[in-house]
Amino acid sequence: MRPPADAIGTLALIVGVIASLIFIGVEAALVYAIWRYRASRNLAGQPATFERNRRLEIAWTAAPALILAAVFVLTLGTMAEINGAGVAPAMRIAATGHQWWWEFAYGGTKTANELHVPVNTPIDLDLTSVDVIHSFWVPELGPKMDMLPGTTNHLRVLARRAGSYEGQCAEFCGVEHAWMRLRVVVQSQADFDSWLAAQAVPAVTQGGDGERVFLSNICVNCHTVRGTAAAGTAGPDLTHVASRATIGAGVLPNDVARMRAWLADPQRYKPGSLMPRVPLSDADLDALAAYLGALK
Amino acid sequence: MTAIPLWVRRPAGERVGWLRTVDHKAIGVLYIGMGVAFFAVGGLEALLLRAQLATPEAGLVDPETFNQAFTVHGVTMILLAVVPLLVGFANYMVPLMIGAPDVAFPRLNALSFWLSLVGGVVLYFSFLAGGAPDTGWFSYAPLSERAFAPGTGVDYYILGLAVNGAGTIIGAINLSVTILLMRCPGMAISRVPLFVWMTLVTSVLILGAYPALTAALVMLLVDRQLAGHFFDPAGGGQAVLWQHLFWFFGHPEVYIMVLPAMGMISEVIPVFSRKPIFGYGFVAGSSVAIAFLSFGVWAHHMFAVGLGDTENAIFSATSMLIAIPTGVKIFNWIATMIGGRLRMTTAMLFAVGFIAMFVIGGLSGVSLAVVPIDLAVTDSYYVVAHLHYVLFGGTMLGIFAGAYYWFPKMTGRLLSERLGRWHFWLTFAGFNLTFLPQHWLGAVGMPRRVFTYAASTGWGPLNLISTIGAAILAIAMVVFFVNLVRSLRSGEIAGDDPWDAFTLEWSTTSPPPPENFATIPAVTGRRPLWDRKHPEARDKS
Repeated sequence: MRPPADAIGTLALIVGVIASLIFIGVEAALVYAIWRYRASRNLAGQPATFERNRRLEIAWTAAPALILAAVFVLTLGTMAEINGAGVAPAMRIAATGHQWWWEFAYGGTKTANELHVPVNTPIDLDLTSVDVIHSFWVPELGPKMDMLPGTTNHLRVLARRAGSYEGQCAEFCGVEHAWMRLRVVVQSQADFDSWLAAQAVPAVTQGGDGERVFLSNICVNCHTVRGTAAAGTAGPDLTHVASRATIGAGVLPNDVARMRAWLADPQRYKPGSLMPRVPLSDADLDALAAYLGALK
Repeated sequence: MTAIPLWVRRPAGERVGWLRTVDHKAIGVLYIGMGVAFFAVGGLEALLLRAQLATPEAGLVDPETFNQAFTVHGVTMILLAVVPLLVGFANYMVPLMIGAPDVAFPRLNALSFWLSLVGGVVLYFSFLAGGAPDTGWFSYAPLSERAFAPGTGVDYYILGLAVNGAGTIIGAINLSVTILLMRCPGMAISRVPLFVWMTLVTSVLILGAYPALTAALVMLLVDRQLAGHFFDPAGGGQAVLWQHLFWFFGHPEVYIMVLPAMGMISEVIPVFSRKPIFGYGFVAGSSVAIAFLSFGVWAHHMFAVGLGDTENAIFSATSMLIAIPTGVKIFNWIATMIGGRLRMTTAMLFAVGFIAMFVIGGLSGVSLAVVPIDLAVTDSYYVVAHLHYVLFGGTMLGIFAGAYYWFPKMTGRLLSERLGRWHFWLTFAGFNLTFLPQHWLGAVGMPRRVFTYAASTGWGPLNLISTIGAAILAIAMVVFFVNLVRSLRSGEIAGDDPWDAFTLEWSTTSPPPPENFATIPAVTGRRPLWDRKHPEARDKS
């Protein structure tokens, strides 16, 4: 199958050309009428008095109807195509919307805000939400699909070129809708396999100060680090948080310095975010940022 | 024809204050005043949004303020500005155009206006009561449920819209009864001016659409205040049900806002082309077709909800169908101009501007009916651009055409043509600069309703252009307000019929006396005033 984005692109090109021709025709007729019949041209004689023409009316009713019938047939074809056209997906990934971040689950392996997929492979996303309605949208992948609480929607994904693509939530979902961004990493099957294998292993317990700070504060109520006692599910899984490119679903680039700033006051960078400001000493902040920065 | 007794009679010549008036013309002016005031407020909210979005990652306002501003901007412009402006002109002009002394139920008419206004006041009171609604004008559940919107903003939204809607529903009953039963002798339904036709069709649309909104609002209120579960999936409800109910109102609402403006330019174009309207029956009939279809297209707002291919295909087909009667109208307006002697007054400029801009909104609308294209661009700035081409490029330009056309009738003075031209060209430039780039922004990935965007997206330059356009648009509106105020005080005296027009409102004085006509006129054609002025060339129909 063609990538859905390509199928939509072709259809949009056809519709765009038709629309442009109609646009040019109508605007030209309008401009012609204004120019040709303006009173300041001092045309001789009285204005015309014709006020009806049944044939003309039928013609300009029928012509758009025929054009639209053709567009509708093309629409049906593309609708079937972007849904997968009978091709079974090679893999299913569960994508869940949260206020204001994304959870992606490859079987039992969870990650957040960064969707990795193998190139040239048809994949179905199973989309749902735990709170309000979100909408999964990565323009380079083509169509968007809403994520509804209590329902699962499906979206066929097929990317033809490896690379990293940006997307974001398209359905207004509350105060931080603007910073519910995601990144899709399209990679070769081998790269994808090794990435998934790395994500699947639990974190190596470091046993240092950072881990102690993490486990002895309210962090654990919301976050999971597999391999430790932290098993909260309200926030993103942090087992391999350092492998991701951004913090806070796109609000900051991910490095130890930014992570420390984020931990010190998430509300400064993402006001309204459900992550509270946890009062920690400077030493604890340093240790915690270093700990998270080591969770590759 | 006027067998219905007027339920309220004013002693001739008695002056009553604005608060007590039941005169359709005074109530029309009140509606228009309300519309103008809220249009100014909604415009300032839009400027705030554009200022924040002019540059990436800007911090002019916090996210919460931004979300309140775009929510209130949408509700204000649609329900408190555009609808009152259109209802106001209908209130003022319909009785005059059909040769009636007033609307059928003058007291009810006053109730309609005051309910509409109170609805708006209730909505704005939310700012004082702890924060305006911040869930968008279509306020999707479950975001609008108490769990996610714990403040009182959404409650004021519910109450304000319900009260405002009650006023609009009552007004629609009044106008439709007036048009059906109070036409002067000889004014067959096939002879009423097209603005009256469109008002009748719009009234029927209001009666079908607004109750769905009222029902949805009450259900949401039950959810929020009485722990109901209509839209709460966790309690067995359906979030999507809200969308069905809302858009069953929301899409006809688009035509409620567009059809009367189409009616306005259907009056303006013939008068300034010096020709009868081309294809009267088709222009009128296509409105009925649009109204009928508009109740069957709502789910095209919901293609990305996942209703399924069959449902999406059906709604795609009905949405495409609606383009046909819309196209018929555009062709008939242009055919009206062909062969005429066009006087390019400001009113005519705005009417022609309506056609030129509405074509763009109509074509992008068809692209949104194409399901796969919709899935790519829905909920993006492409939709923001599309809806503003319909509602500003269409409706607002139509309202301006109507304003320049009818201001002399309502005040006895002409608006300045010189300022009018400035107003038109600044509007035209500012409007296109604001909204044309938004098509591209949406197509490349900018969602609507974001309070900011990352610098890395590259959306900065087009957003800056859009904001500059909005500033020009604001200047155009200032020019219009200056024109209004100056012309009201010292505009050129208009006389009864400054445009050498065709319809009955121009046969009485400017402004008309309380009883409208000294004697109820009798008509024999679609252009009664033309017939009176040119008995040798009377219309045959």
